[in-house]
Amino acid sequence: MSNISNAQSSTPQSSKFKVFRPWIFLAVLFIVLPFIFSSGISVYTMNLMGIFIIFALSYNMLLGQGGMLSFGHAVYFGLGGFMSVHFMNYIEDEVFILPMFLVPIFGGIIGLVFAVIIGSFSTRRAGTVFAMISLGIGELVAASSLIFVAFFGGEEGVSGDRTMGPNILGVDYATDLQVYYLIAAWAFVTIALMYMFSRTPMGRMANAVRDNEERAEFIGYSQRKVRFISFCASGFFAGIAGGLFAINFEIVTEENLNALTSGVVLLMVYIGGVGFFIGPIIGAIFFTLLQTLLSHYTEIWQLYVGIMFVLTVMYAPQGLTGILAMHLPVIRMKRVPQLIMPYIRLGVPVIIFLIGAIGLLETVHHVRSAPVDQTMMTLMGLEYDTHGVLPWVVMVICTLGGGYVAKSQAGQLREAWEEAHAPVSSNGGSAK
Amino acid sequence: MSMAISLNEVRKSFGPTEIIRGVNLNIEKGERHAIIGPNGAGKSTLFHLVSGRYTLSGGSVSLNGEEISNLPPYEIYRKGLSRSFQVTNIFPLMSVFENVRCGIMWSKDYKYSFWHLVDRERSLNERTQEVLAEIGLTDRQHVPAGVLTYAEQRALEIGIASAGGADVIMLDEPTAGMSHSETDQAIALIRKITEGKTLVMVEHDMGVVFDLADRISVLVYGEIIATDTPENIRNNKAVQEAYLGAEAEHA
Amino acid sequence: MFELLFFSLLNGVVTGLLLFMLASGLTLIFSMMGVLNFAHASFYMLGAYFAYTISSYIGFWPGLIIAPIIVGLIGAVVERYGLRYVHRWGHVAELIFTFGLAFLIEEVVQFIWGKDTKAYQEPEVLHFALFNFFGQDFPAYKAFMLIISISIFVVLLLILTKSRIGLIIQAAITHPNMTAMLGHNVPLVFMGVFGVGAGLAGLAGVIAGPALGTFPGMAVVLGPIVFVIVVVGGLGSLVGAFVASLLIGLLQTFAIALDYSVNDLLMLFNITTDVDSALRDLWTLSLPQIAPLLPYLLLVLILIFRPTGLFGKRET
Repeated sequence: MSNISNAQSSTPQSSKFKVFRPWIFLAVLFIVLPFIFSSGISVYTMNLMGIFIIFALSYNMLLGQGGMLSFGHAVYFGLGGFMSVHFMNYIEDEVFILPMFLVPIFGGIIGLVFAVIIGSFSTRRAGTVFAMISLGIGELVAASSLIFVAFFGGEEGVSGDRTMGPNILGVDYATDLQVYYLIAAWAFVTIALMYMFSRTPMGRMANAVRDNEERAEFIGYSQRKVRFISFCASGFFAGIAGGLFAINFEIVTEENLNALTSGVVLLMVYIGGVGFFIGPIIGAIFFTLLQTLLSHYTEIWQLYVGIMFVLTVMYAPQGLTGILAMHLPVIRMKRVPQLIMPYIRLGVPVIIFLIGAIGLLETVHHVRSAPVDQTMMTLMGLEYDTHGVLPWVVMVICTLGGGYVAKSQAGQLREAWEEAHAPVSSNGGSAK
Repeated sequence: MSMAISLNEVRKSFGPTEIIRGVNLNIEKGERHAIIGPNGAGKSTLFHLVSGRYTLSGGSVSLNGEEISNLPPYEIYRKGLSRSFQVTNIFPLMSVFENVRCGIMWSKDYKYSFWHLVDRERSLNERTQEVLAEIGLTDRQHVPAGVLTYAEQRALEIGIASAGGADVIMLDEPTAGMSHSETDQAIALIRKITEGKTLVMVEHDMGVVFDLADRISVLVYGEIIATDTPENIRNNKAVQEAYLGAEAEHA
Repeated sequence: MFELLFFSLLNGVVTGLLLFMLASGLTLIFSMMGVLNFAHASFYMLGAYFAYTISSYIGFWPGLIIAPIIVGLIGAVVERYGLRYVHRWGHVAELIFTFGLAFLIEEVVQFIWGKDTKAYQEPEVLHFALFNFFGQDFPAYKAFMLIISISIFVVLLLILTKSRIGLIIQAAITHPNMTAMLGHNVPLVFMGVFGVGAGLAGLAGVIAGPALGTFPGMAVVLGPIVFVIVVVGGLGSLVGAFVASLLIGLLQTFAIALDYSVNDLLMLFNITTDVDSALRDLWTLSLPQIAPLLPYLLLVLILIFRPTGLFGKRET
């Protein structure tokens, strides 16, 4: 599902089926996943992933599709969440009779309403100014949320109960697993809708405005209107994600609107890859794994995320998906075996370097933050004394040695890469 | 019968400098009109004024009898005037196919629709293939436009400008930087796509100008010093002095 | 009442000038390189932390000199090896880079110094009341902040307008290519301006640390306001940044000082409100409460009525 289209002017029956294949695969995957990963923590993590996937995809409608960098996207997510949790309470108080699974729609609606209001003046400009405006609005809403306690619940936020409301088919969302299927269903629907949006005239023009906003005007489209519609659509889907968050966690706080959440979604999408439709999906999965798994093993996981992000921006701006996509030609030409040894030759020193560097960071952190007498720490199963000389020596050698060897090996990987991409010789015929 | 394009005392200043100093020009429907002149005369600026990229400092512009002065580019486009750019101005990350298709979408009345799926729109995609064939880029249609060769990009420029079926097409130095053979192909392409339409073009290549144009206007220092048939322009003393001079041998 | 206005005025100016120290560096960097440095407030934070560490070992005054220099050098390195590399992918990529940098710096600060607020104190020698007006003290330290801010601006103004390097900088801002053709090392100028901008932000941190607190969130608290200032003032305009800084500094200070609520306003018209109504938040809304919102409200108003900012030049 890349942005480069493979449009055909006619769609014979077989290729129609081919179009549906990835979607069927996705649906089956969603249904089957909880059976593969069935532990409580897995389902919890997958729920979080589902929510973030929708949130991240909505953000990429702005950034990757529309070329608009926003630092305040959490506003629509958070407002959607707050509206939804209020609806959950209305359902509980029997003000409305509504099945719980429809609640995210109201999240989406309020996301849309605010996107229309805010977009009316903030989408006039693009680029840096738009980014700064989004930051300002984000701060405005986050700060307001602590003042208007009636709607936002102040510091404690607003809580709800997801088991309320009419039980359809006996489902009351008491268990995380039931919520999983709710989130998966919504994720499937919204992923499909967002993908289809990107294949509409409006979606195509969003790409065009991203590429060359001026030229878009000379083929009949107002760049401002294109940006505005993208903005509204993106707010709508962010609101839905917020609604699912409300149902899953049964509480929404100021945190869900603030600059940190806006920053996190930017991070996710960028690391995943802004230039691909599935980039945000991969980014959301990756980040959620980091957040839930990594945080168990180390206290400084956020530092690692920060380093990863800066490295991605500088050296892998196409993101994880981009790195994977880079290998597609090689896979198609069936030349992957050529690259295995070179990758190992570079990979091993890099791993040694990482062991050394991470060890140093973790040990320093431990020395600084642990109680004075506690000098033993465990890293990757090994226990050692942070005040001993040997661990430090080992780590420094790993870092310096691994780094040096890795640098020297980079060249051979580059050569192997170029060789693997060399045109096929004439007697073999051309790869198509 | 109203003129396709009518410029009346058009002026443009950037700060204290007046670049276009009172241009009067009437271009008839179906005419092929070339605008020539030395570098810095203001030819591209004139294009920008007509197509909505710049605002006028004075005077007015009309399209088919309707005033279009200072309208935004998209409104002028919707009234039937389309233009290409001297410096290639395409959508580099999108495929060649997508580039052309975007150029057609408004003319097929899709507007800002997010309820049609473009891949399923038969007439839209067929027209796109037609244009691709016209500009000779059918084989390159899936390539990102940014990696095309220079001549291919110039062809794409012309394609995007003409794809939407506008009645009045303005081409800004369409053959800039092309070799002889590429230029010949370009001339044939331009002739084909402007069949029955009004063409205004800025050109430096006198061969192209004398080949295609019904009339020529000569712009010097922001003023038009002559508008006439190619033969008369060639023999016009003032034009020879101001501009043609060495070019007459070159053509 | 009068002393309230007087001290609010004074405090507002102190805050405004501090904000201008940050906004001016940001504006210079933006004018020159087209990059809005998201990490600018992070340099401010680094200045405070470095000064704190230096002051714990050697003293406040060496910190005042050394810390901004260190931060300036870090800024120069960031420009040379980071920003310049990312520049090829355009402004959005540069902005994302500086955003990532801001995030990373905050994590590094927490890693090195921990998450708690540091006891970065003003120097003993300035720990007295400069004068007493109507029963309220005005701390000498604030006067010190005022003096430093004003001297920096005077120096900056003189350098930019009267010195040779200032002329080169002004030229490089609008015509980098031409300036390079004339033989000036424009990349070096860029690196220098970025470094000086960072150093200025660091200096602001050094003097603000004792007054506003030295903690890992200090960049996030001040950062957005500085961006609002440059947008409100008009991107690229130093005069605009100055006016907007003072405006916002004064606005916030007065809002906090004048404890009036909407109820009070309505009382003037003899309207009373229901204490338990759903809109109770609106009626009890007081100026000090909305003080943090005011810069952003101003931003929205400017964007609606005067999108290029108060003194803005044309589009970005």
